[in-house]
Formats: sequence, structure tokens, C-alpha cells
Amino acid sequence: MSTWIVIVAVGLGSYLFRLSMVILTGRITMPAYLERASGLVAPAAFAALAAAGVAEACGGHGLTQAAAPLIAVAAAVIAVLRTGSPQAAILAGLPALWVATALLPS
Amino acid sequence: MISLRADRSDIAAGARAMVPWLAGIVPFGLVIGVSAAQADIPAMAGWLTGPLIYAGSSQVATIGMLDAGAAPVIVVASALIINIRLIFYSATMARYWRGTPWWWRLAAAYLIVDPSVAVGLDGYQRLSRDRAHAHYFGGAVLLWVCWLAAIGAGATVGAGLPAWLHLEFVMPLYLVGAVVPKVTSPAQRRAILAAATVALLALSAPLQLGIALAIAAGVIAGLTAEPRR
Repeated sequence: MSTWIVIVAVGLGSYLFRLSMVILTGRITMPAYLERASGLVAPAAFAALAAAGVAEACGGHGLTQAAAPLIAVAAAVIAVLRTGSPQAAILAGLPALWVATALLPS
Repeated sequence: MISLRADRSDIAAGARAMVPWLAGIVPFGLVIGVSAAQADIPAMAGWLTGPLIYAGSSQVATIGMLDAGAAPVIVVASALIINIRLIFYSATMARYWRGTPWWWRLAAAYLIVDPSVAVGLDGYQRLSRDRAHAHYFGGAVLLWVCWLAAIGAGATVGAGLPAWLHLEFVMPLYLVGAVVPKVTSPAQRRAILAAATVALLALSAPLQLGIALAIAAGVIAGLTAEPRR
């Protein structure tokens, strides 16, 4: 139940954000530091979610199997740096994860 | 005056201007669909983040934190913090929508998100006001349709694939791919490193508060870097 309430609440809040300045047009000016901060939220959120996701994938396995996600992330980082394409992360990282999971002793 | 009948060529031009964006947006939608299918939430709830929240990064946080069992208040607060940028987009578009009918502003505001604002602004800077409205509408609606279709396709495919594919790892990999190119900017690099570090340190924080703490730490760390001139 709370899943639905959360999604509706985030959706409603987001819509009010979108509508806010269109309705209040010209009556409020936003401080500059808040604009700088808002540009940093998405990279920070992505980094936090990625780190937590990788840590979760490493947890609950033996030491050697925990290395598989880390190998996959390393392959992903190298692929993105070499190609300059964000999509390369999945294209290189996922096969690396399959190979590492199959080869590492459990 | 808003008259979409007369502006078909501008609607089409707006839609065409959106096409290059779709190359990045459609894979993101697919990944969100796949991760929603893997997450411990109803399939319909995962897809509904598309039309209801309609902002990828916030949808990822919502799905991920619900899956991890975070407290509802923490999920809502974190997802809305990620969407604060929408207020700035709203301010940007407001000056072009002054004097337009209510129904237009209610609908056009709903479609505000990073790519639609970018395509829309280009139109408002080049075209007359009326034609630019049609340009924005064409781009924004195409984006909306493709976004929801991509999430639906990802959720459908993701639910039926075998476990050894480890599709639950697609989202972390996607996020790594999105973050790595950003480390060239000093402020974003600090934000990324601080957020990742705090997220790891706070893994066992109560109520899954770690993600919210990590975002806050990342933003504060990023603000300490000199703004680029």
C-alpha cells in the first residue's frame, strides 16, 4: 500500500515543482547558490545509488564471488573512458559480470 | 493564441529535434523498466513512476529505495530533492508561457523535464511565440510516448529473463556509465566522490537514510568547488 502512496506523493510533488514558477511567474527569484546546488543533485544521487547497488551485489557472497561485481564495474569504467559513451558501461560490464561469476570459485 | 491545427509543421519539427535525445533516453527507460521488474514492488507501480513522476533519476531513486525497504518519508524526500531542478526549468519556461490559457500551462508544465526543456528553449529562441509553443509540444509529446513505451518494454522483457543474466546489476552499471564522464568537472567530481563514499559508509544506516545523506554530502562537497566561469 505504502508503495503506491509514495509514488503518487513523489509524482504530485514533482508536478507542483513543474507548475510552481509557471503559476508564480516573476513573483519569486531563486537564489543563485540553489541553482548551482540543483545541478549537483543528479550526479550525487547517481553516484550514491551506484555505490549502494554495487555494494549490495557484493554482499551475501563469499569473498571471491564478491569480486565479480567489482570486476564488472572496472570493465564498465574502462569501457566508458575509452569509448566516451555511457552505454558502454552496460555493454562491457554485464558480460564481464557473467564471465567473472562463472570463472570465480564460489 | 494556441492553435495546434495550424502548426503541424512546427509540431513535426519539434518532434524531429527530439529524436537525437531519444538515443540516450530510450536505453535509460529500458533500464528503469528492467530494474522495476527485478525490484520488490508491484509491476504496475514500477511502470506508473513513468507517467506520475516522469523524471528518470527520481524514478530510479524511488524504485531503488522502495526495493531496499526504505521508510516512505525518506523515499519521498529523497526523490523530491532530486527533482528540485524542475523548479528552475519551470522558471525558465514561465516567461514564455505568460498570457497563455490555463489548460495549456497545466499540460505544458506536466511535460517539463530535461530534454523537453532543451528542445523547447531552442524553439523559443528561434521562432515566434505561437510557433515555438507547437515546437515544444511536438518534442515533449514524442519524448513522453517513447519514455513510457521504453519503461513498459523493459519491464516486460526484464520480468521474463533468467536469473543468471543478473539484470538487477543493469541499473548500477547504467549509473556508473552516467557518472564516469562527469568527473571532468571539478564540482561534479567532488559531488560524485563524496556521495559514493557516504553511501558506502552509511550502508547500514537506519531507514535507508544513507542515500539521502549521501546526496546531501555530495551537493555540499560540490558547492565547495569554485564555480566555473
